[in-house]
Amino acid sequence: MQSQRGAALIAAPRVHLTASEWRQLRTAAPFVLPWVIGFFAFTLYPIIYSLYLSFQSYSGFGDAVPVGFANYKHMFTDPLFFKSLYNTAYYTLLAVPIGLVVAIVLAMLMNQNVREVAIYRAAFYLPSILPLFALTFIFIVLLNPGFGLVNFFLGLFHVPTINWLGDPSWTKVSVVILAQLGAGGPALIFLASLRAVPTELYESARLEGAGPLRRFWHITVPLITPVILYDLLYGTILGLQIFTPAYILVGGTSGGAAYTAGPDNSLLFYVFYLYKNAFQYSDMGYASAMAWVLFLISIVLALLIMRWSQYWVHYEGA
Amino acid sequence: MTLLPRSSIKALMLGILVITACSTGTSNQAGPPLAGCKSGTSLVTFWTSHTPPDSDSLKRIVDAYNSQSSVGCVKMVQVPGSETDIAKLTTAVRSGTGPDVYMLDRFTVAERAAAGVLEDLSQFGASSLSSNYLDFAWAEANFKGKPYALPFDTDTRALYYRKDLLQAAGVDISALDPAKGPPTIDTIRTMANKVNKKDSSGKYTQIGFVPWFEQGWHYTWGFVYGGSFFDKSACKVTPTDPKIVQAFTDMFTNWSKALGVSQVQTFLSTYAPPNLPAQQNAFLLGKVAFMVSGDWVLGNIATYTPNLQYGVTYIPVPNQGDQPATWAGGWSMVIPKGAKQSKAGFDFMKYIAGEPGQRQYTKDSQHTPTIKALDQDASLFAGGHAFFQKQLSAAHSRPPLPVGAFYWDQLSTAQDAAVRNTTAPATALAAAASATNAKLQQYCPLP
Repeated sequence: MQSQRGAALIAAPRVHLTASEWRQLRTAAPFVLPWVIGFFAFTLYPIIYSLYLSFQSYSGFGDAVPVGFANYKHMFTDPLFFKSLYNTAYYTLLAVPIGLVVAIVLAMLMNQNVREVAIYRAAFYLPSILPLFALTFIFIVLLNPGFGLVNFFLGLFHVPTINWLGDPSWTKVSVVILAQLGAGGPALIFLASLRAVPTELYESARLEGAGPLRRFWHITVPLITPVILYDLLYGTILGLQIFTPAYILVGGTSGGAAYTAGPDNSLLFYVFYLYKNAFQYSDMGYASAMAWVLFLISIVLALLIMRWSQYWVHYEGA
Repeated sequence: MTLLPRSSIKALMLGILVITACSTGTSNQAGPPLAGCKSGTSLVTFWTSHTPPDSDSLKRIVDAYNSQSSVGCVKMVQVPGSETDIAKLTTAVRSGTGPDVYMLDRFTVAERAAAGVLEDLSQFGASSLSSNYLDFAWAEANFKGKPYALPFDTDTRALYYRKDLLQAAGVDISALDPAKGPPTIDTIRTMANKVNKKDSSGKYTQIGFVPWFEQGWHYTWGFVYGGSFFDKSACKVTPTDPKIVQAFTDMFTNWSKALGVSQVQTFLSTYAPPNLPAQQNAFLLGKVAFMVSGDWVLGNIATYTPNLQYGVTYIPVPNQGDQPATWAGGWSMVIPKGAKQSKAGFDFMKYIAGEPGQRQYTKDSQHTPTIKALDQDASLFAGGHAFFQKQLSAAHSRPPLPVGAFYWDQLSTAQDAAVRNTTAPATALAAAASATNAKLQQYCPLP
């Protein structure tokens, strides 16, 4: 009955509701309305408004002056725009694959058949619920080249001193490492998908003489590919929007005098530069244009990943 | 099926309404808006991005104002932000929830006024106060001939030196007596190099002088070398002035190369990472023997390391006999657009940026006042403070441009490139000039 009506809804151009269904809708509408209003006022309207602003010269106050495509053209001559694009691409290319591997490994650790597994799960997940803000402040101390625990530990293996936050070739790596402390979230999703893999498959593979590595590559990985795809898409979109750690690492929150966004502007990520243009240089038009370019880049990347996924994502029963 | 009968829902809604009405009703009762204020005053919200110890002094001034004012009752709120980052302010003002008074870096007043963030203060009669303030400070508070701010504190920069560290290294510090005029850069370099220390792994544990540490900015050394950062008649920034290029070459590129580019960066990342609290300053901890910084450090030393053996002299100059140079910055009080209590807000501004407020702030924080009358009051400038105050009359100040924050960041990028020896100063500064001038063009000609 339910599915028949569902099919009819899709097929029929007009929706016919009975009197009691109308009543139900009337009762439900006020409960949904806050979200709908919120979506229109705080999501859809700003998106459309920012498209309009991207063709204006606007400080955020007073009158906006139409400038046509000038904001978009300016990007091509702005070295910091390309620098921020490069920094963001560098970070995303590094952080997404590493994040994927870390999350899967964490999920497998959380999936061990031992008595204390609940403690492990809590311990591995714990850093993910700490506010990124607090985590970053702690991270600065851990990465101190002179007193930091990270260099102390590496020093035990005779690794030379690394200036994590002062050397432009290490700053982005530092942010990638920091991002791994949030791997608990994706790991939980991987854990759920690992537990959904039918145990019969492992048993029959074992009977056929497959070792743990072979079982992982030929059973586990194919069956969790839908979640890998999800993580890849989600990670890429989040990676392109990286902002908070860089903002804190370069001292953006301190009352001290502003400096560059890390040595050689190496932490000037795309959204950080967008933020500077909007709120430090009062150039909302340019910032809006940058936001739209990032949006287009995100869409293109997402489509490419979706198309690529046809070759490796395995949908059970499809 | 319903969980509650319809009548119960109605009763519940009515109850919530009554409770809400009662709770908002109480705030309309007569009485002071805040404890410590007089009855009948208007609540004024005041935002500052300052942190302790300076914000403690601001709070004292606010409390003193509240206890005697029959106009305003000020609530001070510490907000995130910095000299050039006013994201919190702009978003709040835009959404109609901004403060009534905001503490803004004075050299950005023109920039924020041009953007339309600030209220023109002539409507409150601010122009009549101009004669109370030092000329350069008042000029910074104006844009296109109209006042947009009341100047608050100012400051000058000088060279701090650690007597104990220098003497332990066998340095004769008599040449650092300010009575002998400014020392030369060569003199300081020779002294500083004797203090440099490395550990067994070759890492610096102590460096005599890092010229770009603390207040050794692009502007500082540019002014010391006699450079000019802005050509008003051409309406162009001029960071490619050969004197500025020379300053960058000597004080950033070559100095860094002599110490070892990556070693000195590692030293700074270790002992002067971002977000460091004032009490962990490398000079206070004895990691550097010289430091260019402002008069407010006197207050920090008195608070955190009262027994420090240190002295203060002029920032070193390139050649023997050169005139000493420094620059003055400082903050100001503004009324953002859309302030609901602008009249009471201005009343508070006249107090905090006037004699009572600036007197207290000078005593507490060792910043320098911009009120002419206070500038003459010798009792305010105890100990080393008098030295800073005397330099004020000849101090430079940053050009108050509508693209001041952008220019600062561009100069910082050039400075960073020079310090790390990646780009020749002339090339880096030329890039800063072209980017800034492209942005400045829309405001030309400047009044």
